[in-house]
Amino acid sequence: MTRTQPSPLVRDLQAALGIEAVLFEPEDLLPYEFDSSIDRSAPDVVVLPRTTEEVAAAARIAEEHHVPVVPRGSGTGFAGGAVAVMGGLLVVLTRMNAIREIDAANRLAVVEPGVINLDLQDALSSFGLLYAPDPSSQRICTIGGNVGTNSGGPHTLAHGSTVNHVLGLEVVLPGGSVVNLGSRQVDAPGIDLRGLFVGSEGTLGIVTAITVRLIRENEAIRTMLAIFSTVDEASNAVSEVIRRRVVPMAMEMLDQETIRVVEPRVNAGYPLDAGAVLLMEVEGLVEAVDQDSEIVIEACKSQGARDIRIAKAAEEREALWEGRKSAIGALGHTAPAFYLLDGVVPRSRLPEVLHQVLGLSREYGFKCANMFHAGDGNLHPTVLFDPEEEGATERVLQLGGEIMKLCVDAGGSITGEHGIGTEKREYMDWIFSEADLEAMSSVRLAFDPTGRFNPCKILPTGHGCAQGHFEPIKRKLGPGIYV
Amino acid sequence: MTSTFSTPGDFEKKPTSGRERDVDRDDLEDLLGVLSAGTERPPEQYMCDGVSPIMAARPSSVSELAEILLVANQRNLAVMPQGSRTALTLGRPLTHYDLALDTTALNRVLDYAPEDLTITVEAGITLKLLQESLAEQGQYLPIDPPPGDQVTIGGLLATARSGAWRGHLPAARDLILGATVASPDGSLTRSGGRVVKNVSGYDMHRMHTGALGTLGVIVEASFKLSPLPAAVSSFAIVCSSLSRAGTVACEIWDRNLATRAITILDSKTSAILDCGDVATVLVEFAASESVVVRSEETLREILRDYDMSAEHIGNDIWAQIRSLTHRDGIDTVIRAGVPASEVSGFIDHMEIIDGPSWGHVAAGSVWSCPNVNAQTLLGLRVVAERLGGFLQLESGSKSLREVVDPFGVSDAGLTDSLKSQFDPRSTLNPGKWKAVST
Repeated sequence: MTRTQPSPLVRDLQAALGIEAVLFEPEDLLPYEFDSSIDRSAPDVVVLPRTTEEVAAAARIAEEHHVPVVPRGSGTGFAGGAVAVMGGLLVVLTRMNAIREIDAANRLAVVEPGVINLDLQDALSSFGLLYAPDPSSQRICTIGGNVGTNSGGPHTLAHGSTVNHVLGLEVVLPGGSVVNLGSRQVDAPGIDLRGLFVGSEGTLGIVTAITVRLIRENEAIRTMLAIFSTVDEASNAVSEVIRRRVVPMAMEMLDQETIRVVEPRVNAGYPLDAGAVLLMEVEGLVEAVDQDSEIVIEACKSQGARDIRIAKAAEEREALWEGRKSAIGALGHTAPAFYLLDGVVPRSRLPEVLHQVLGLSREYGFKCANMFHAGDGNLHPTVLFDPEEEGATERVLQLGGEIMKLCVDAGGSITGEHGIGTEKREYMDWIFSEADLEAMSSVRLAFDPTGRFNPCKILPTGHGCAQGHFEPIKRKLGPGIYV
Repeated sequence: MTSTFSTPGDFEKKPTSGRERDVDRDDLEDLLGVLSAGTERPPEQYMCDGVSPIMAARPSSVSELAEILLVANQRNLAVMPQGSRTALTLGRPLTHYDLALDTTALNRVLDYAPEDLTITVEAGITLKLLQESLAEQGQYLPIDPPPGDQVTIGGLLATARSGAWRGHLPAARDLILGATVASPDGSLTRSGGRVVKNVSGYDMHRMHTGALGTLGVIVEASFKLSPLPAAVSSFAIVCSSLSRAGTVACEIWDRNLATRAITILDSKTSAILDCGDVATVLVEFAASESVVVRSEETLREILRDYDMSAEHIGNDIWAQIRSLTHRDGIDTVIRAGVPASEVSGFIDHMEIIDGPSWGHVAAGSVWSCPNVNAQTLLGLRVVAERLGGFLQLESGSKSLREVVDPFGVSDAGLTDSLKSQFDPRSTLNPGKWKAVST
């Protein structure tokens, strides 16, 4: 029974999308007040459109009612990108989950934004094709969400991120007009609006169809696990492999803390007494795989690897990867809460930064499990804590800020793949000047003059947020940093 | 008259009128002299579409360039940034051209980390100089734009041109990690960084890549590098028809060998390159020695089924292909993007047009130097678009570019909106995107 009177906004949305596609009762909004970040804020209304036309209608109606619009996929983002921090209209794209087309001969597919990443991979396997970006959350994250954050994953090292695999986008712009960016072919004429849109975290429009580039599966693949006594040795091995002119498809590192949590749950074959393990993969023609894996093995041994295991069958390979990809989920069982960080440094600075991360964590009195896309220098320190413990959340956030500072000081950046969202807005001026941020604000204005699309994301306070009738949320993010 | 554009759409609505510029030459020369931005070449050597600029400036530092741009903006001058000048006629003819901004003195390597496979350079450095520096460490920037390595990095990014390697290897727009851009308001702004993975803020460097210098002047850029392949080997396959060439080429692509290029030449292009006078498929392998040998063996197996053979050719064929678009006497160059499976068919379609054509299968790109009028050009665009692709006029006469939209893009006014934000006075390459009144 409806208890809340539908507002004029709700009535207009119901008329355009149908009653069942519009949620506005408080209990129906609850599941949508958070994503995988630590932010939480309920939207005023949620819509679940099925077509581009419905998304466009929702955007138009939101504009007419002057409400913010926040796009959302599966809500797996870690930076708060899908949280409606200013309330407004949450547009959930999960019902738009059709794979519209697979053109195997020309290696492209057209998918709706709600398609789950792994579902796309599974649909392509019979064609001998792959969609390269494979975030660890691929069982639940959506392609639209991947576009929003320019997602990477373990195979970014060789294949690049989402932006390198998106050919074209159908986008609903603020106000409700629909535009096609890019093409079905590479290097479309004009300004690369497609490239600008990928990674814009839902602030420039809502993607309603994605033309993705596919790659052919390689003839051979070899997955190896190198075991080291220390993280230093493992980090040095990463650099040594690159120095020997091999760029594996993936190089992932897990430290001892992570191994000891993951292994009992997953039985991936990670030795519990290892200081660190390096999970590596090479692909190509059989000859290339043989040569490259020899070089990788020698490189690892030269840096102190005490053992190197090679997956002999598909099941072994899957088990090794299962350990890596389910690490976050496993860590979630070991402490009441965890704060998953995302930073990136030049590969050569990894050993030094890792030491500093561990040292800082000890100073703050927290356990920190580390997993990395080591080949990219993209680190994911995961701080375990109990939010019930007095002051723990505050201290964890402070620690997070200091770890981000370490990355910046090492010549890196504050996010490798999770995006800025709300989480890191106030760190942006660590890496960008006022002029840089003004230029980014100009991009936003060009697409969204009213600033209502996913407000208060990416850019710090004062750049389009806390203006007009929006009020900033007061929240402590780190040493002296507030939103 | 100065122009300001406060809302998207205003840019299109400006009434036709003259562009009032403050072009006191002596004053400008004094000012540029103070900025230590001289040039060794007279303005006449910076001609474009038969028009010489009033002045030329060749700044020796990024900050000088930014100051010059600010001065030009303040005086409502029209500026054309340029490096190797190999893409001057890509886009509409400029409405005005007052100042040539020569970037070639900005040619330093700023930061090179071979262990991280990253490099940061000033935008006036040529690809040739960059590749030579990288080769010393056994690395390279894996891009092969036409017409060749004489292009500057800034020009490479501004045009985002790709060659035969596209589709096998990433393009410039995939390899760029970050950039510093000079804006008409005199600011220098950065986006991205020097690390290979980064999603901090808007990727403005992607916005500027392919923007033809209309939103800002790229002055520095960072790239992801690759190790140089140990072995490179090229082959020519003579085909009885373009259709056969397409079938064979697509099968080679499908087998996922160590290919770095698969290119189909029509008979005219084959003749120009001394490959015979029939359709030809060219293949380049690049990898370790044993992998290249294996790829060659597999190639020969594939061709046996077609009763065809592959002949070894010199690797310099690819440099010749890159330079095809800039041979003497070439006026019009077009580039179509079509599905890989349609590359040979599109080349075949263009047999009726006088001019050589060739296509890179993995990229789905077809290039041609035809002798065509506007109507024929637009007809070709319709054909490409029906295949789900596009057709861009890469270069052409001023008169052709005045009547034909070189790009064929429809973007709901977003290009205009970005222009109004980043270059509201239309200082940079005014009129490049479409016939605009200032």
